[in-house]
Amino acid sequence: MRPVAVVAAGKTPFGAFPDRDLRSLAVEAGDKCLKKGHVTPSHVEAFYLGNFAGPSFVGQNHLAPYISTALGIRDVPATRFEAACASSGSAFFHAFSAVSSGLYDCVLVAGVEKMTSQPTARVTEILAGAGDCSGEIKAGSTFPSLFAMIARRHMYQYGTTREDLAAVAVKNHANGALNPDAHMRKVITIEQALNARPVAEPLYLYDCSLISDGAAAVLLMPLDRARDFTDKPVRILGVAQASDFVALDQKADITTFPAVRRAAVKAYEMAGVTPRDIQFAEVHDCFTIAEIVAIEDLGFIDRGCGGEYETNGATARDGEKPINASGGLKSKGHPVGATGVAQICDIVAQIRCEAGDMQLKRHSLGLAQNLGGSGASCVVSILGNA
Amino acid sequence: MTGSVYTETVVHLAPEAFAADVPYQVVIVTLEDGTRTTGRILGDRVAIDDRVEQVEMRDGVPFFRKLP
Repeated sequence: MRPVAVVAAGKTPFGAFPDRDLRSLAVEAGDKCLKKGHVTPSHVEAFYLGNFAGPSFVGQNHLAPYISTALGIRDVPATRFEAACASSGSAFFHAFSAVSSGLYDCVLVAGVEKMTSQPTARVTEILAGAGDCSGEIKAGSTFPSLFAMIARRHMYQYGTTREDLAAVAVKNHANGALNPDAHMRKVITIEQALNARPVAEPLYLYDCSLISDGAAAVLLMPLDRARDFTDKPVRILGVAQASDFVALDQKADITTFPAVRRAAVKAYEMAGVTPRDIQFAEVHDCFTIAEIVAIEDLGFIDRGCGGEYETNGATARDGEKPINASGGLKSKGHPVGATGVAQICDIVAQIRCEAGDMQLKRHSLGLAQNLGGSGASCVVSILGNA
Repeated sequence: MTGSVYTETVVHLAPEAFAADVPYQVVIVTLEDGTRTTGRILGDRVAIDDRVEQVEMRDGVPFFRKLP
């Protein structure tokens, strides 16, 4: 295993872009990334793409070569990874593994999703494909309802409140207002969050992330080679992927995600750090309750105490453990296949001190947690100064 | 078949296939043998720990009703 670094990152803004197609978004992100890395397409030895549901959202399959050739990348392996909302986290993990093992010296990893061309009811149906369609989905579960059932159980077992959930939404919207590329740059109040319309009780409109279009890309190289292309390589200190049951009703305890815990333990071990050492994190807040469960499973706070930790302000920009300084999926947006790599882009910008108004004071060791489905896939990545 | 409610939600926003049923309650029920299943509630709304009985099966989906 040789050390691997992120050489460059590129992203599109996230939002609803009716005049943009899936390929043009991915090409914009990939192109920006290659240019920032001073790398021509002919240098790229493999293309790893994360995408959840391009075939359903836009009717296009065989997406990896469809995008890589448009970027000018020819002949090399081009492969799509699908792990629900952790699709590009998974592409990143596998790209890291290939570079670390010595197979490749230059890999482009991208993530993309184009969601807004479908009406909300159809988007909900496509997203439900990440659940167990022979059971829970057939019974009328949607993704909001699966996380609503997690929230209900978390409230029952630990006394978590709707106010705790709303605190996550208020904080992430405040952070997203500072992000020029965020889908919804809007500050909200706790009253707005609490009085919004119900989606799946106890989750209301502001407990849910956004339906977005967008793409993100990062360029990976072995660390020694990365130094020839950038004076600010960001080292991937640890990265791990884990899996679990797809159906929520197969899990012993739905208030915790074993795949997150397993991936986190491995990533911490690989990086030689503890949860306490992590200075900031981007976590998968597809719903407000998901952020609360994530910070518990990542070991930032004891089980059952995540809600209170959020309400007390510990996860705010100026708190002891800033979470989702980018605005998170909640405010930045959640083009599902792009989210994992977009989180890496945000961590890289913070570590390089290039995060503009979002820049945090302590920014040398960051963690990204990318979740798929209701916890069946998870990728945890830890990045730091090289 | 009877069991107890492990968790529940009332769905207000649903895909087209379920749009006519909105709002409807989805539950995960712990059955007497300890296994869990996802189903729907007919009649009165239920809360965690409520006892429920399976009253029908529609296309492989169990429908439960609250026991007094």
